[in-house]
Amino acid sequence: MNYRHSSSSYRLRSTNHIEVPLLAQWLLLFFVLGLLGLFFVYLKNQQHALGEQMRLVEQKAADLQAHHDALLAKVTLLTSRGSLQRKLDEKYLDLLPIAETSIARATPTRELGEAKNMKTASLH
Amino acid sequence: MSAAPLSTLSYRLGIVCFLVSLFFTFFALRLVDLQVGSHEKFSRLAAEKHGFKQPIMAERGKIFDRHGELLAGNVPVRTVYADGTHIKDPLALAHLAAPFLGISEKELASKLTNKRPYMVIRTGLSELDAAAMMKALEEAKLSGLYLQADSERSYPNGKMLSHVLGFVDHSGHGVDGIEHTFDQELSGHHGYRHIEHDRKGLEIVLYRGQEEPAINGRNIYLTIDMGLQAIVEKQLDVAMETYQPAGATAILIDPNTGEILAMASRPNYDPNHYGSATAEELRNRAISDMYEPGSVFKIVAASSAINEGILNEESIIFCEHGAFSYGGRILHDAHGDYFGDLSLRDVLVHSSNIGAAKIAMKLGDKKYYEYVKRFGFGEKTNIPLPGEISGLVNPPSRWDKLTITRMAMGHAVAATPIQVVMEIGCIANHGKLMTPELLHHWDLETTSPQPKIRREVISSKVAQTINSALIDVVVRGTAKQAKIDGYAVAGKTGTAQKINTHGGYLEGHYIVSFAGYFPADHPRLAGLVVIDDARLGSMANFGGLVAAPIFSKIGEASARYLDLLPTTNLSASRQQVEETSKQSSATLSFLQ
Repeated sequence: MNYRHSSSSYRLRSTNHIEVPLLAQWLLLFFVLGLLGLFFVYLKNQQHALGEQMRLVEQKAADLQAHHDALLAKVTLLTSRGSLQRKLDEKYLDLLPIAETSIARATPTRELGEAKNMKTASLH
Repeated sequence: MSAAPLSTLSYRLGIVCFLVSLFFTFFALRLVDLQVGSHEKFSRLAAEKHGFKQPIMAERGKIFDRHGELLAGNVPVRTVYADGTHIKDPLALAHLAAPFLGISEKELASKLTNKRPYMVIRTGLSELDAAAMMKALEEAKLSGLYLQADSERSYPNGKMLSHVLGFVDHSGHGVDGIEHTFDQELSGHHGYRHIEHDRKGLEIVLYRGQEEPAINGRNIYLTIDMGLQAIVEKQLDVAMETYQPAGATAILIDPNTGEILAMASRPNYDPNHYGSATAEELRNRAISDMYEPGSVFKIVAASSAINEGILNEESIIFCEHGAFSYGGRILHDAHGDYFGDLSLRDVLVHSSNIGAAKIAMKLGDKKYYEYVKRFGFGEKTNIPLPGEISGLVNPPSRWDKLTITRMAMGHAVAATPIQVVMEIGCIANHGKLMTPELLHHWDLETTSPQPKIRREVISSKVAQTINSALIDVVVRGTAKQAKIDGYAVAGKTGTAQKINTHGGYLEGHYIVSFAGYFPADHPRLAGLVVIDDARLGSMANFGGLVAAPIFSKIGEASARYLDLLPTTNLSASRQQVEETSKQSSATLSFLQ
């Protein structure tokens, strides 16, 4: 009996106590830290993905702007005086004379303004 | 027995602990060194390896005319480069890309077989061609050709206004014309952005660093009116075809403000392809050519003499019947004219050389020289264009006895076309000499620079008197062909033999000109037409026969373009001129 008792108390003495609440606290802490880490990695990945999207959108915007500028330059070139004159010479365009009697002036012929800046008739 | 092993064990454990702690201390110290001590060094190394200062290119400012018509802009172009490490099938890639690049398939294939990571294949490829090429490559699932953004200066009107606009070099800096004068303002400032890129060379947006945005160049509005410029250019082209001269220049200004409205020279060049232009074509003759202005210069002597009160418009000058012996030489009147007495007004009307010489002699060397300088000859006009020369006016200390007689008729003096047009503008502007202006305003600025008066050369009253004489020049004098229907024109012709670079003059080679303005009562436009060495016989090569008709055509088209009201009292003014002429003749008859 004594022996049983002594061996049981020996076994109790040689076994570590597991302090469940404390362990749970630590596990929770590590879990939260792990979760935060994962969340951090997730956010970083999202940032990279958004950055990549941003780069692509910027690239697309720049390409569109360049395309727009190129088309605008082409329109300017096609409507330049030299180009129009060439089309006129090649009979693609024609100028029709307007008789003086057919011109109705909404405003009188413009004189020099205070700034003495000249303007074309088209700017009446 | 048990104490000894215990102490040995403790001793050994101590050694191990010490070594372990030493080991970790070493790593800890190294870590501190890496993170703190050598932080700057390794940060720099990392930045050098992955970081990149990406330039943000500023857009060069555009150039517009006074009404906002684009004269110089920027066209986006692409630089095509190949990465040899990405090319799997060079032949297929060459076959597909060659037509877009304008390079032969064979030549392109030989370039693409190279395994270098960066090879420039083509610069200045249009945006549209580049986009089409990349689409074709994408569809064919071929890689290895990439694009870099670039920009090219474009002049949509080609040769028109080339001398005023100038051009930019391959690095984007203005070399000539307005592009050069206002290069700093037009250029703006390039910005930059610190970026990091991955192993593919793509930017990691997350690690974008310091950024300085680009400041685009300012847009400039010139005083040039492209409507008038087109008129001038067209007439110069017709003149070049008709007379086949060595060169031609025409300038239109607003005499009230000194604003340059049109300026053209021939031969000219296309600034889009300036590399193929010759030195002659590149020269802006309006500011860098000096020539003997001929009879246009007689205005200086006449107006100076009246302004000084030495003579008036009705003062009689004896013109020696066409041959004036002075200083051991005989001075003749042109056109084979043999004038006796002429009023000062008629000296201008008939462009008498002898009359002009005598007027200048009455003024005296010093006074005459002073007025020549006051009219702006022999000094730069300060037009904002590079390459302007000041002409040549020698001081009286370097004159011989004959100089004043020669200078009075526009010889022995060299002027630039811009100086001559400012001179005629001075008469039109009540005697006030203006500074020629090309800058109308900068973008986002509502106010234009104020007109700059250089000086009041002659009084308004004297200018009015000369104006009346210059109207007469066109009505019944040497410039009848400068008339414009519906408008009173005032002006003066000029004909001068070309100077021989080896001394003396070139026989049969003339520089003819006409300088004038209209409507004469309220001048709106002043202009000059200079034709250098027209292919005509001596009897037909006069300012009144060659340059005056061109001025008339320019004036007629300009008046229509500007919708100027025809001079209402034209017939009255003509009648007045005729009456004055009759009175003048009657006076002469009485004197004779």
